[in-house]
Amino acid sequence: MSLFDQFLIIAAIICSFSGCAAVSMDRAVEAETVSAVSESEYSDSASQVEGTIYFEYDKYNLSASAVSDIRALANSIKSSSSKVRIEGHCDERGTREYNLALGEKRANAVSELLQVNGVSSSSITTVSYGEEKPVTYGSNESSWTKNRRAVVKVL
Amino acid sequence: MIYRISTLLFLIFSSFLTSELRIEITEGIKDPIRIAIVPIVWNLENPPRKYLHEIISSDLESFGEFESLSPKEMLSLPKTDKELFYRDWKLLDVDYLVLGSASQGEVKGEVVVNFSLFNVTRERLMKRSISTGTTFYLNALAHVISDRIYNEINGLPGIFSTKISYINKNNSSDEKYFLRVADIDGRNDSIIFSSTEPLMSPDWSSDGRRLAYVSFEEGTSRIFIQEIYTGKRKSLKLEKGINSSPNWSPSDRYLAAVLSKGDNPDIYRYDLEKDSWKQLTNHFGIDTEPDWSPDGKKIIFTSNRSGTPQIYEMTISNGKIRRKTFEGTYNARARYTPDGRSFVFVHRRDELFHIAVQSLRTAKLQILTDTRLDESPTISPNGKVIIYATKEKEKDILAGISIDGKTRFTLPTSSGGVREPNWSPLLVSTSN
Repeated sequence: MSLFDQFLIIAAIICSFSGCAAVSMDRAVEAETVSAVSESEYSDSASQVEGTIYFEYDKYNLSASAVSDIRALANSIKSSSSKVRIEGHCDERGTREYNLALGEKRANAVSELLQVNGVSSSSITTVSYGEEKPVTYGSNESSWTKNRRAVVKVL
Repeated sequence: MIYRISTLLFLIFSSFLTSELRIEITEGIKDPIRIAIVPIVWNLENPPRKYLHEIISSDLESFGEFESLSPKEMLSLPKTDKELFYRDWKLLDVDYLVLGSASQGEVKGEVVVNFSLFNVTRERLMKRSISTGTTFYLNALAHVISDRIYNEINGLPGIFSTKISYINKNNSSDEKYFLRVADIDGRNDSIIFSSTEPLMSPDWSSDGRRLAYVSFEEGTSRIFIQEIYTGKRKSLKLEKGINSSPNWSPSDRYLAAVLSKGDNPDIYRYDLEKDSWKQLTNHFGIDTEPDWSPDGKKIIFTSNRSGTPQIYEMTISNGKIRRKTFEGTYNARARYTPDGRSFVFVHRRDELFHIAVQSLRTAKLQILTDTRLDESPTISPNGKVIIYATKEKEKDILAGISIDGKTRFTLPTSSGGVREPNWSPLLVSTSN
């Protein structure tokens, strides 16, 4: 199964669960995305309640590995009855206010999938920091990749 | 060029006394207007040590439009019209000449400057004017004189008495964010607000007395309004999600802003008299970065409703929305020019972000900058100059360009990363 097919299936799954308009909109631009999809730097192992999900440039749809990471996060959040805060972040490219909006879309994408996997909405808060809080400085692809993220933190 | 440390005048929250952003022209126009400011004659008991003619010359030169003659190059130093020989100035290719004298006003410390502007080519007096100030506020007095000279020659308001607000953050250990305001020549730089959490999107009120901005001090984005001269601060009613991108209406009664309480970022209008929000756009994509048209009837904004960020314009009275940009896949954060005929925005081409200008009538797009990661353009209140944020060797810096693209400059600073410049409106009347 090609990566593109995987994407469509995952997007379809998410949409069917959440009826999420944002995700379906992403499908329209997916053809453009797919060539770039491959990186899967996930910093936290699935057994933890906290984790970081990475995104493609200018996108807020979830990659296949992000979906499985979030599913694992959901299970540990439920079993530990944790309350979490999801922070959405972007790389420095593009405008700051647009990135603030993009960061929120990323945080919401993670939040929605956590809820689909049984985490109660009352135990999730989201905030977007846009490009204001990079983990690493540097105007290059390696920094940008690390900065395009949603971070799930236990409150 | 040496800048004297100047006493802070207006801003009570100030703590740094050094001059910060200095304008350095990197590319000037080929045929600047040549002007000679003859040293002002001081008829005062204790003349101040600063030289008015130096401040005026440096003002006029600051955006590359003028080249001013140093007194050393002058063939004569006339004190009055009677001592003026146009021949001396024509030999030096001078286009305009300023003569002036300063005397004690009625109140102690008050200075009255009488000055005359001459058109050398036409051998004609253009304007006589009187400006009053104090020796303590000598820079401010000089800027007013520069504004009047500029206005008389170019028919546009001078911008030498304006200010700029910006965000300053050092990418070092302390991670502190500063909202700062400085005179446009870099003097009187002062901290308006500081926080360990991000500060964003400063926007001057149309009366030049307040700044609206976004602060994350409560752990989420929230819009604050702060009076610059008193420090008085209030927050707007907090809504769920994003509260950001404040932009004052020309009347200062409303702020356009972005809220995502409806699950998607949309443009709202905050009524400062009623303390209430009204929704203006409603779309499941991202709507953000509103800017009010100079006549207050329209709002220009960024939306990704077509799949990529593009510029749209809404007529407020009927809610009609029209797409304005069609070139490229990233057009964002538009700001109207003061005449309302064009907008300046961020345009991506070949993966690089540039500042561009587009006419609303002809839709012709022109890229102005050749730097790579440009954003946050702000336009001088006379419409002639743009300052924007960019990167130089991975550091956030401010740079500028004239709207005709002919003059380029940078604003070097010693205080770490600087970004999100916002140009004040005209703060003093230049007509008299």
